[in-house]
Formats: sequence, structure tokens, C-alpha cells
Amino acid sequence: MKTKISTTFLIGIFSISLLSSCNSGGSEENKIDEEVFDPNSSLNTMFDGKIFSIPSPVQTAFLIKQLNLSFDETILNDDAKVGEYITEYNQALNLGIYGTDLGYCALYNQKKASLKYLSTVEKLTTQLGLDAAFDTSFISRFEKNSDNEDSTILLMADAFKESDNFLKNANRKSTSALILTGGWIESIYIACELHTKKASPEIKTRIGEQKQSLSSIIDLLNTYNKSGSNDKLIAQLEDLRLSFDKIDFQYEYAAPETDKDSKLTVFNHTLVVSFEETVMKEIKTKLTAIRVSITKA
Amino acid sequence: MMKQLLFIGFTLFSAAFVNAQDCEAIVRNCETLLNKDTKGSQFISDGQVYTAFLDREKAEFKTTFFGGSTYRIAASAGANEDYVIFTIKDLQGNILFSNKNYKNAPYWDFKVNQTLPVTIQTELDLDLKVTGCVVMMIGFKK
Repeated sequence: MKTKISTTFLIGIFSISLLSSCNSGGSEENKIDEEVFDPNSSLNTMFDGKIFSIPSPVQTAFLIKQLNLSFDETILNDDAKVGEYITEYNQALNLGIYGTDLGYCALYNQKKASLKYLSTVEKLTTQLGLDAAFDTSFISRFEKNSDNEDSTILLMADAFKESDNFLKNANRKSTSALILTGGWIESIYIACELHTKKASPEIKTRIGEQKQSLSSIIDLLNTYNKSGSNDKLIAQLEDLRLSFDKIDFQYEYAAPETDKDSKLTVFNHTLVVSFEETVMKEIKTKLTAIRVSITKA
Repeated sequence: MMKQLLFIGFTLFSAAFVNAQDCEAIVRNCETLLNKDTKGSQFISDGQVYTAFLDREKAEFKTTFFGGSTYRIAASAGANEDYVIFTIKDLQGNILFSNKNYKNAPYWDFKVNQTLPVTIQTELDLDLKVTGCVVMMIGFKK
């Protein structure tokens, strides 16, 4: 019996050592296989397929505010609909949408509207099991700082980052993907609506600049497409991509300048984004239809 | 035999848990780097935690830096700050920046006057660490 336990114990210790060594900090004494230094080696591949980066919806809201466009609550998703989102799929997409609405309200220092959308975000995060990121401490800090747009935006961005980390660790990457997608769709929807109300070349350009982000979103949804649940949304976004493909990018490289003391690099390139107003209208029509299909529950 | 299997299962689970905790500690390191030595306003996270477990691999992803903002990229793979190499390329493949030229600095700021779609490549400095969890975060400010 003793021998059996000892053997099991040794196997266990060996297993821990083996797995922990996979993640332990290396040292300068590490012996590295020659193959690692071969740039053509098959080892130079990506882990877990791909990493995706979706721009923060707050960035578009920043631009909107910089342009002194007035706040318009009527374009946001109706907070009363929050109870209608029953499935995890709908809850995640609409959490992204409400999160962007909350950011838009917070950036314009709209206290009453912010607290209303904070409540919708709180409800959906609870239903999605994201209480750790959007806990009572977050809610009370948000409420206390609701007069300070810089603080509320920082708090909100950190809470969404925490929930992204939590979902990825919990192997719920499909939920994380849907939240990011909802956030992106709402930010571009708001930009399209404001551009329609008052044409702005800056807003139009910013919408056109989303071409690569749209491709990343489609790739992300394809990668985490549980049982084909994203199929309809992917088809809609693929159709939207056909319109984005009509946007012309004229890029000219210029060497960046780096100041190593301040750890700052300034990019000096030029990028001209151009497309016809008819393409803009096409994008708005398609994006609105996608947003309606998400928010109608 | 059953006991043996249960014990091995438990130890494998424990090891995986230890690894997850290691990764979580690196996430916290990276969060600190995202606003280390910032002048003026803080960097706002883009809301994502870019995590990869690299085993002599390179992770690569595309993103867009929007004009009118300053961005910070922070990267960590453990207690030492110089484990991670990150390289930014434009879509023509021109290398715009690599922290390899600056002693693998764990964070760097980028002033973006005009929007720029880029590819970011991340890898461990194999002279220092061969395998492990790598975390990257991106922040921006006006």
C-alpha cells in the first residue's frame, strides 16, 4: 500500500513539475534548441488560432465629442428592453450595445442617462455571471464619480477589461466576442446616425477607417461560432463588408521618429480614406438593419 | 488504480490551476505597466486583455490606431520586465517599431496623427524565456 501511494505521489509530483515547467520563468541558462532560431521553423506559429483586437467604442465617442456634436439620447437603445434579452447570445450582444451607450452618456456628462444605462449594464452583467467585474464596488464608484467623465470612462473601460479577462479565463471566448461585437456595432451606428443628422467629414472618415476592424470582427465571430449561433450575424456582416470594400485607402509610408528617453514614437505616415456618400448611405442602411436584428430581442 | 487516477487527475488540475494563477499575476503586472510613469491623463484600456501561451511561437494580430490619439502598448510575461518583444508593422510590412531596439522595454507610447492599420507581433525573447504566458494591453488617450 505504502509503495502504491509513494508511486502515485511521485507521478503526481512529476506531473506538477512537468506542467509547471511549461509556465515557469526561464533563465539565461536555458538550453535552446537550434530549431527555435530558424525563422522558417514550424514552431513559429500562433497559439489558439488567432488573437483579435477590436477598437474600443469609447474612441469613436471621443471623436464625436471633440467635434462638438450635441448629445442625442434618442438614438440609443431603449433601456426598457433590457428584460427582453433572455439568451446568453442576446444578452452578450446587447451588453456591448448598452456599454457603448453608457460610455456615450458618460462622456457627455449626462448623469441621469448614465445611471439609467448603468442599471441596464448591471442587469446584463449579473445575468451573464460577470458580477466580479461589475460588482457593487464598481457601481458605487461609478455613481460617486458620475460628475467626472474622465473617471467614469476609466472605470467603465477597466470593468470591461476585467470581464474580458474573466470570460477568456473561463473559456467563454464566444461571449467575449459577442460583447465586443455589440460594442463596435453600436459605436458605428451612433456615428452613422449623427452623420445623417449633420454631415461631418471627420465622422465619415472615422466610419471608413473601420474597414480592418470589421474584418477582425468577422474573423472573431467565425472562430468562436458555437454550433453556428453566429451564422446569421456573420452573413449580415459579410454583406456589410462588401460596402466597406468600396472604401479606398491611400497609404504612404514615412519613417517614424522615436524619442527613447520619453519612450515615445511619433508616426509620420499619411493615410487618405475616400468613399462616395452613396457608399456611406449603404453602410448606414446595412448597419441599422444589423443593429435592429440585435436589439429587437 | 482508481485512487491513482483520481490523484493524478487532481495533480493535473492543480498544475493547470497554478498556471492559470501565473497568467493572472502577469495580467496584473501588465495592468500596472499600462499606466506606469504616465504624464497627464491616464491611458484608457481598449477593454481587452490579449493573452497567449507561447511555446517558442509568435502571436500576431491586426489592429487600428486611430488618428488624434496617443496609444500605449504594455506587455508582460513575468516578473522580469524584458521577456517580451513586440514589433509593429504597417500593412506594407514596414517595421514601424520594435522594443527589441530599446532593451525590450515593457511599454511604449505612440503618437498617432493619422489613422494607421497595423499588425502587432509578439514573442518571447528566447534568450531569456522560452515558454509561458504573455499578456499585452493597449490603452489610449486624447
